[in-house]
Amino acid sequence: MILLGLLPAFISADTKDDLEFRRTVRSLLRKHCTSCHNEADKKAGVNLDRFDFVVHVIRSGELFQKVVKVVEENTMPPPTNPPMSQADKDTMLAGILKILEKALAKPDPGPTIMRRLSHREYRYTIKDLLGVEFDALKYFPAEASGGEGFDNQTGVLYMTPLLMERYYLAADSVLTQVRNDPALWQQLAPRSYRAGPLRHFTNWWKGKISDRKVYWRKPVNIAEDIILPFANKAYRRFLSIDEEQELMSLFENIYFEEWRKKDGFEIAILTVFKKIMVSPSFLFRMEANLPINDPYPVNNFELASRMSYLLWSSMPDQRLLDAAYRENLHDPKVLRREVLRMVKDTKFDRFSENFAPQWLGVQDLIFSSKTDHEKFPEFTTSLRMAMYTEVVEYFRYIFTQGNLLQLIDSDFGLLNKELATHYGVSGIEGTDFQKVALKESNRGGVLGMGAVLVSTSLPERTSPVLRGQWVMEQILGESVPPPPPDVPELEAAKDQVHDELDLRSLLELHRQPSSCMPCHKKMDPIGFGLENYDAIGRWREFYGTVPIDSRGELEDGVVFNGPEELKEVLLSDKEKFAENFSRKLLSYALGRGVEFLDSHTIRDLTNQLIENNFNGPELLVALVNSYPFRYRRSDLADRYKDNKL
Amino acid sequence: MTLSNQFSRRRMLKGLGACVALPFLESVYPNAWHAKSSSQAPQRFACLWMPNGVHPEKWNPAKLGSDFELSPILSPLKQVKNKILVLGGLMNKNSISRFDGHYTKTANFLTSMPIERTVDAKVNSGGISLDQLMANHIGKDTMFPSLQYGLDRIKSGVDKAVGFTRLYGGTISWQSPTQPCPREIDPRMAFDRLFRNHIPGKKPLPPDPHKKSVLDLVMEDAKSLEKQLGIEDQNKLGEYLDAVRAVEKRLDNPKNLADFEAQITPDIRKELERMDIRIDEWAEYAEGVDITEKARLMIDIMVLAFWSDASRIATFMYGNSVSNRNFSFLDGVHGGHHAISHHKNDPRQMDQYEIIGRWHIEQYAYMLERLNGIKEGNGTLLDNSMILFGSGLRDGNRHSPYDLPIVLGGLGGHKLASGQNLYFDQETPLANLYMTMLTAMDIEVDTFADSTGPFCELLT
Repeated sequence: MILLGLLPAFISADTKDDLEFRRTVRSLLRKHCTSCHNEADKKAGVNLDRFDFVVHVIRSGELFQKVVKVVEENTMPPPTNPPMSQADKDTMLAGILKILEKALAKPDPGPTIMRRLSHREYRYTIKDLLGVEFDALKYFPAEASGGEGFDNQTGVLYMTPLLMERYYLAADSVLTQVRNDPALWQQLAPRSYRAGPLRHFTNWWKGKISDRKVYWRKPVNIAEDIILPFANKAYRRFLSIDEEQELMSLFENIYFEEWRKKDGFEIAILTVFKKIMVSPSFLFRMEANLPINDPYPVNNFELASRMSYLLWSSMPDQRLLDAAYRENLHDPKVLRREVLRMVKDTKFDRFSENFAPQWLGVQDLIFSSKTDHEKFPEFTTSLRMAMYTEVVEYFRYIFTQGNLLQLIDSDFGLLNKELATHYGVSGIEGTDFQKVALKESNRGGVLGMGAVLVSTSLPERTSPVLRGQWVMEQILGESVPPPPPDVPELEAAKDQVHDELDLRSLLELHRQPSSCMPCHKKMDPIGFGLENYDAIGRWREFYGTVPIDSRGELEDGVVFNGPEELKEVLLSDKEKFAENFSRKLLSYALGRGVEFLDSHTIRDLTNQLIENNFNGPELLVALVNSYPFRYRRSDLADRYKDNKL
Repeated sequence: MTLSNQFSRRRMLKGLGACVALPFLESVYPNAWHAKSSSQAPQRFACLWMPNGVHPEKWNPAKLGSDFELSPILSPLKQVKNKILVLGGLMNKNSISRFDGHYTKTANFLTSMPIERTVDAKVNSGGISLDQLMANHIGKDTMFPSLQYGLDRIKSGVDKAVGFTRLYGGTISWQSPTQPCPREIDPRMAFDRLFRNHIPGKKPLPPDPHKKSVLDLVMEDAKSLEKQLGIEDQNKLGEYLDAVRAVEKRLDNPKNLADFEAQITPDIRKELERMDIRIDEWAEYAEGVDITEKARLMIDIMVLAFWSDASRIATFMYGNSVSNRNFSFLDGVHGGHHAISHHKNDPRQMDQYEIIGRWHIEQYAYMLERLNGIKEGNGTLLDNSMILFGSGLRDGNRHSPYDLPIVLGGLGGHKLASGQNLYFDQETPLANLYMTMLTAMDIEVDTFADSTGPFCELLT
């Protein structure tokens, strides 16, 4: 009997926290929320009826952060339901926050799985390692993105047979290029070896008197001095004795087959290089997985790689490797010094090239656009490329010489003649991009950039809905739920002089049905504020003969007219932008989506940005110093066995 | 148009005939099949996938059975009408999602399972795709177990609105639930990959005698690294090992290489030469401009692959899910595919939607006719193929997953009761068709996804 009484305690293992959660938060959820948010009827996809243990709450940390937010802002319960009493609100929020804060008290750097080089990273690594330009994005099969929308996210970087074939061919092609370039080859292999006539004779003689394969030390010594340093650089670390021996064995096997050829030495060296370039240690960024339960700091070389791939999309340079070897790279002073040095290096351009277009969602513009060429013959390939370049140049400028708020608005742009003419800005000459004052030109910041405006339009006309959604997602970090699968038809537009004339009234209809209104009243007004920019980003005042009405009113009643005022509205909520930017940057840096366990890091980076007046390099210093950037946790530890983040 | 002038002038200079609508081609039997009759020739499978659905009223032929008239969208198939099956009423129940209209109906077109809603970490198609399942069984008999082609780069970015990575919108072939197959979209690279060393008049690539040593060594590397890694890392390294093994397989077996060489008959060689020139011309004049020619080039490469037995399994995506390809190059169309598919029942939009649907079928018909023009045994290559055409949606305006537009071309080795228009009960699993095809290929599986069994009526 006693045993039976003890049984429940063994089975459920309820902690004190679980019991308290059920008593307070869960009963309040049941009182106010689960009538709509339950298993059978998941309004907005949310089911709040399945949480009985604190552990489950923590696993859905992001969801509960949202719960806190909507309850705090009084968005939930919705106006159609009875409101929560202040006492209930306080209890629920306090209860949830207590659980979340306790979970965040023990820092967690998140999962780190070995990350294959993205195509962009491959290209730049090859450039820095061998001095050769290789168009990886074109040569390798195109890849998708993950996390916050970047192509360097571990979860979507696969290794497939097709890609492996291409890596091999790529190594071949790149090495052939190097071999055929005397300057590049000289750097890689300053010394060579050719078997002289005496050696030929000796080997012939030895061959006559015994069966053993020929071998002599001299070429191997020379080869060692070429191969091992190259391998160190390629693997981004020191090699183990076994690894070194393996490489030299390969050399010996090949050389002592090919030694008779004039370039037998080179053939053998190139083969070993090829092997290095298709090795997992080159293609993946691998980090040691130690049998330690708690998170531990990555070693100096691993940290150096993380830094160089973040800032340069490529391998560390000699100075960074030296710092990793000789100093304590984890020391904040050393980190700061190196980060600031790396930002000043021209290789930092690559950060803009890789981060900015993907963050703004314009990365495909470098390949193509859906814009209708018949309707818009002015939208040439050259103009499209100029728009793409503008994004990169502008981002680079404000990151290194300005501040990040200038992404939203500024009084200058980086333009060349073609783009300036397109924008109606006169007096610029040449194909180079230069800083241009934009005082009265209705431009300034990303909202007026051709790349963004084209990417958020349809082939033949603008789309206020797409533009509104874009601003919300990319600038404010608010995601807009999708349209329901069965969108009811809107009435057809009556025949008008100009297709787009009825756009505003058509979209007004979006806001009528109660199911469409909650989301469209957020998105559409922002899009209307940008209607003065046509589908290829030109400024216009009229649809045909009717003047454009670019007024918009946001949910909270704020009214604006046109892009300048819209930008002011966006700037007024700096914190939202700071948090969104931090999220995007963290995802890019860590190669995974941002999760609940990153909450403190995001908060710190956000505060950092605001306190340092949105200074780019300072943000990078803070990021490199942050916990998830310098620590990792082991895959072997028990704690993560049942890991379902 | 200037383009076609340049093409025909070049051909005249080279003394070659036109390349579209080839006459009946004789194919000398590759040695391995000399003794076999056509029903014992290997079976081929291809899937041509179209985004954004079809005009719901112009798709289904009116009469059922074998005495049916082709519908407006299916009209281009008249030359091969007796070798197609138009199948109505099928669906993937696991496509239904409260979250999303397109991704959940694309990625699982050939898996018939529900996909995992994620932006990266947990990409999961729910199951292996039909083509990869077939490749697991018969892929080892060919140089390339399977091929995956498309016209567009996979769309990058994540769709935060619905919570899915756009990877799902660009993948229908899944080697495993967590391993998508990348697509090739460049005709030159796809063609060279299969046939580079067999193009008459072109110098073959220099031999690479040490390739095997290199690959052996990296395999060893990876295996020794594996021991030190945690579970997740081991999975990643496992992908690497599988990839290297697949590349090695092609090297390892000199018999395979010799077989393949023997399968390149003089007729195939002539066709390879023509393709090589056509691809050069397209790359020079029409790349980025003529999507019809690009589609035909990719289709011709699949046909050549089947003909030369380089591979027996292929998938082809006309575009990514939600593709908004600008179809204004078609008479009567102004605008993008996705936008027009949300026609809101406006007849002007629906007309354009129909034209776009028909363009897709025209390319499908092109493939069937090409296959039908290649003799094999007592019949044609089409008799030994099953070429599926379909979309994961019916009416794009409503994102409807019911009653999908499906056509199955080819006789499947004379195992299919082809030449009919059939309509199944609503909500019949599409996976039943897949089971039927697996049965026709003599591949035994207990079941496939949500299938309730093969369609015995379709099997002769």
